[in-house]
Amino acid sequence: MDFDSPDVMKDFPGLYASELNKQCNNDSDYSDENEKAMKKDLIGKRKEKKDKDKGYAALEGESSADENFKSRSPSKTKKAKSFKFSTKTKEKRDKSREKEKDGDKKKDRDKKNDKKLDKEKGKNEKTKKLKQSLDETADIGDILPIFGASIEVAVERSRCHDGVDIPLPVRECIDYVETIGISFESVYKISGTKSKVLQIRKMYNQRGNINLSDYDTPTITSLLKTYLRDLPEPVFTNDLLIRFEEAGAILNLNTREKHLKILVDNLPPYNKLLLAWLITHLHNVSLNEKFNKMSKQNLSTALNHTFHCSSRLLHALLHHCPALFPNTRIERYVPPLESGAKLPEHPVEIDRELKKQESLLTQIHKEMNVCCISKQREELLWEVQRIITQLKRKLKSANKDKEVVEKVEVVEEKEEVKEESQEPSDTHQKKQNLSSVPECQCEDISPVDIEECDVNTESVLDNTLALLQLKNDGLHSLRDSLLKDIQEERNQILMLKSQLTPEMPPVMMIPNENLDEVMDLFLKENQILQIKKINLVRQIIEEQEMCIELKAQIISKS
Amino acid sequence: MSKKPTAQPALHKVIMVGSGGVGKSALTLQFMYDEFVEDYEPTKADSYRKKILLDGEDVQIDILDTAGQEDYAAIRDNYFRSGEGFLCIFSITEDESFQATQEFREQILRVKNDENIPFLLVGNKSDLEDRRKVSFQEASERAKQWGVPYVETSAKTREHVDKVFYDLMREIRARKMEENKTNNGRGKDKSKKKKLKCTIL
Ligand SMILES: Nc1nc2c(ncn2[C@@H]2O[C@H](COP(=O)(O)OP(=O)(O)OP(=O)(O)O)[C@@H](O)[C@H]2O)c(=O)[nH]1
Ligand SMILES: [Mg+2]
Repeated sequence: MDFDSPDVMKDFPGLYASELNKQCNNDSDYSDENEKAMKKDLIGKRKEKKDKDKGYAALEGESSADENFKSRSPSKTKKAKSFKFSTKTKEKRDKSREKEKDGDKKKDRDKKNDKKLDKEKGKNEKTKKLKQSLDETADIGDILPIFGASIEVAVERSRCHDGVDIPLPVRECIDYVETIGISFESVYKISGTKSKVLQIRKMYNQRGNINLSDYDTPTITSLLKTYLRDLPEPVFTNDLLIRFEEAGAILNLNTREKHLKILVDNLPPYNKLLLAWLITHLHNVSLNEKFNKMSKQNLSTALNHTFHCSSRLLHALLHHCPALFPNTRIERYVPPLESGAKLPEHPVEIDRELKKQESLLTQIHKEMNVCCISKQREELLWEVQRIITQLKRKLKSANKDKEVVEKVEVVEEKEEVKEESQEPSDTHQKKQNLSSVPECQCEDISPVDIEECDVNTESVLDNTLALLQLKNDGLHSLRDSLLKDIQEERNQILMLKSQLTPEMPPVMMIPNENLDEVMDLFLKENQILQIKKINLVRQIIEEQEMCIELKAQIISKS
Repeated sequence: MSKKPTAQPALHKVIMVGSGGVGKSALTLQFMYDEFVEDYEPTKADSYRKKILLDGEDVQIDILDTAGQEDYAAIRDNYFRSGEGFLCIFSITEDESFQATQEFREQILRVKNDENIPFLLVGNKSDLEDRRKVSFQEASERAKQWGVPYVETSAKTREHVDKVFYDLMREIRARKMEENKTNNGRGKDKSKKKKLKCTIL
């Protein structure tokens, strides 16, 4: 869940304001404190609710490890700090800001604040007011930090614009180690300069331009470790960590692998992806043991604290890496082009670049909706927009030259299938799908029939090809409709969130123990249902895939 | 943006605003590439840069072509505050678009908080005289009331297309010079980016 979406900010201005003040109080450690307190306050969710009946039929019961992990989990040890505003620290902060950017810029900012006063008369008075109050005290690194945010939020705030949804700092660290640090002796074991690490962290939080190749390997590995340590909960999630530990301790290799696989597949998507990349990367590092002296065992002991888990678990994951993450390939990140760079010529490349640029543009717009962005960032906004306009023009003129007749046919065909699988979860619909099959069949298959009389082998080939084509189309449309569903659900979430908020404050203010208990109960129940839902959804998808396969077979057979 | 003096030519940032379909993109494309497109394709946001010679001085113009369609209004608003001058466009064949200029003007003033922000009221599609719904008189009066120039253009025939962009840039340039002067005079405050080379007094 994204607790920090603009909507939430809008709805809890008070909460965020106090967060800000708090940040001023503890400058050094603002990022993770901030995020955690926010989460706690927002849902009143208590971490103790490590519930025992997770619904993992495949796994054995609780081990005694429970207590250990409770105390290890980072969010527990933090104490609430008072929300007092300290002018001293604020001054300090202002000074340091002045140091970084030159004086002119700061004046600019002040001036802008004045202007904001008027802007808030506008439609979204609430957000505008919030924006303005934020401008005075903090910059984006304080309001929307990347380090210390949950994985999903961090991805949202700091995307890799090529569609790999892991936070940019992690991706860039991995890239660095894969290319420069892979044969560095004792990589991930030797720590880097702390001040430098903090400096880079700050730059990431402030969305600055960072060139990691200016730093040495230990600094970069320490940065990656800092990122992981700053996470509000382990990448394995608080809820599943124990299960992971249990699975990692299984002696039988096959069983261990099977159980780990199930757990990995049950992680939230962002956690799963991040884990996949990290483990695959570390696996790569261990393959270069000859040079870097870091075996799987060494890596596990060097990094288990970073991962908030035992070295045994880490070792198990590294050992089973190829089986657990067979599809993960470390791909070097190519950021969106900057202005002045030569734009691609081929339509496919143009399209890919366009997606990157649009992703970046969306991100900047999102930042602007929450707070005042830096002058450079504003400049970038125009620049990115300009590149997008250029790319679109290129694409248009490229498309004009191309023949589109063929495409139209394919699209029509797809459309048919799409319509059928519009509502995948509906069983009635499914029946209809099957009954509607004969209709398509006559159109699609007739040419094959004619060929069959002539050449036998060719027709067999054609048949399998047609079958694959049909399956492919079916899967494509399934994907489309799933994506649509996801979007719809996201919208629903946003809507529900906005409905939810007016009732929240009174609930939180009543110090009723019963209510807390009920809340706990509901939370637990909710989680169980959540997991059941995930399993059901997976079943549905599998069945859908079967349906597609069967449909394709029916069509091609008859 | 580089703060270093000279080197880069001055950059003026212009924003096109107005209702959907009045010809913001058509004017922009005519100015940029000397082309006119008959088909209407609503804009989300587009940005262009062009090097030009303004009264013997090399300058760059950044044009941001915004969406008239309300669907994209949120995106549009984000650009307003970095705009240095505005072309507020309506179509002389559509009274509604003329009425809408009032709201655009107010919004811009709200964001910029500056009555004297470089601004032109532009009545486009002057080639469609036979379908005119907004009289020259009426539009000029509104412009006068706002204290801004009024110009009629045709993105189709290119009439006055260069004029509106150049006139606006001159206003922006004059505005920046003025700001620089007050800066030098008072030595503090009102700092804007010094894109113009400061002339020695
Ligand atoms: N005859 C004539 N047609 C014009 C003129 N300017 C624009 N058009 C036409 O009006 C339609 C809309 O023009 P656009 O430039 O796309 O309108 P827009 O203001 O950019 O619209 P949005 O992007 O939706 O805000 C197009 O079909 C143009 O061909 C003009 O000066 N004369
Ligand atoms: Mg347009």
